[in-house]
Amino acid sequence: MDLSRFKACAEAYGADRRRWPAREHALYDRFAGTPEGAASLAEAERTDRFLEGFEVAGPDEALAETISNLPSSRRRGAGAAGGVVRRRFWLPAAAFAASAILGFAIGFAQVRDDGNADLVTQLLLGPESILEIGL
Amino acid sequence: MKPAADDALDQELMAAVARQDGRAFARLVERHLGWSLRFVERMVGGRHDAEDLVQTAFLRVWQGASRWEPQAKFSTWFYRVLHNLCMDHFRARGAPTAALDEALPDGGPTSEEQVAGAQRGARVRAALASLPERQRAAIVLCYYQERSQVEAAALLGVSEGALESLLARGRAALKKHMREDLH
Repeated sequence: MDLSRFKACAEAYGADRRRWPAREHALYDRFAGTPEGAASLAEAERTDRFLEGFEVAGPDEALAETISNLPSSRRRGAGAAGGVVRRRFWLPAAAFAASAILGFAIGFAQVRDDGNADLVTQLLLGPESILEIGL
Repeated sequence: MKPAADDALDQELMAAVARQDGRAFARLVERHLGWSLRFVERMVGGRHDAEDLVQTAFLRVWQGASRWEPQAKFSTWFYRVLHNLCMDHFRARGAPTAALDEALPDGGPTSEEQVAGAQRGARVRAALASLPERQRAAIVLCYYQERSQVEAAALLGVSEGALESLLARGRAALKKHMREDLH
């Protein structure tokens, strides 16, 4: 039964004793030198060697710098975003003010100077309305 | 490669990061970027995705440091952040794919040895990518990252027995992949 446990550990943890759970180290030592144990370890080692083929390079300096500077770039980003929000607020406000001034100017130009109508009423209702209601 | 062992220093740095100390954050990045990038690249199979995910993870460190409570080691907590980001990535993009061009060095001439190494790497990437996520995570954590069974099981939220089963099934699938690769 111990040998089957040894084989199960080799299949899960591989051929390297350091990767086995500490509680199974005694089992490893007991069977690693036996023909059956050595065959299990040789089989497991093939998978270990296959896995070793996946080498991954360390991070380059540019990535390390980008990540290290995340706090300051976030602060700059927040400032820029605030600026965008402010610009977005001012654009429609300025357009509204411009159209109000233009509308007032056009209305003022249309006022008829008949001497009878109140100027403010003419501006509010327009000259045609004043004529209609007989002011 | 094992994460840095100096947990007390990590705690000090996190406390400083919580006070918005950019230099402490840079130290934390310096200490943990290497292993975290290797972990994520082996999980997702591609360098570019790995870099994006690791950057997101460190941003979460910066934004969440004030809420971090040092009940676990920083590296254990950060592994969980990285692992969760990988799982989100798989849900959004599907299973990882492995391409040879991901394994080839950028630019410059490549020797036959480099190409052979890249091809070997691409085969392992492809084999790992074909595994179910939890089997892949178990192998990456235990084999490449050399985490203990206790820590790897806790990170994956399984018992040590279940972890052993994930490892055994994952390695059996890799063996099958290797055999098919030879024929």
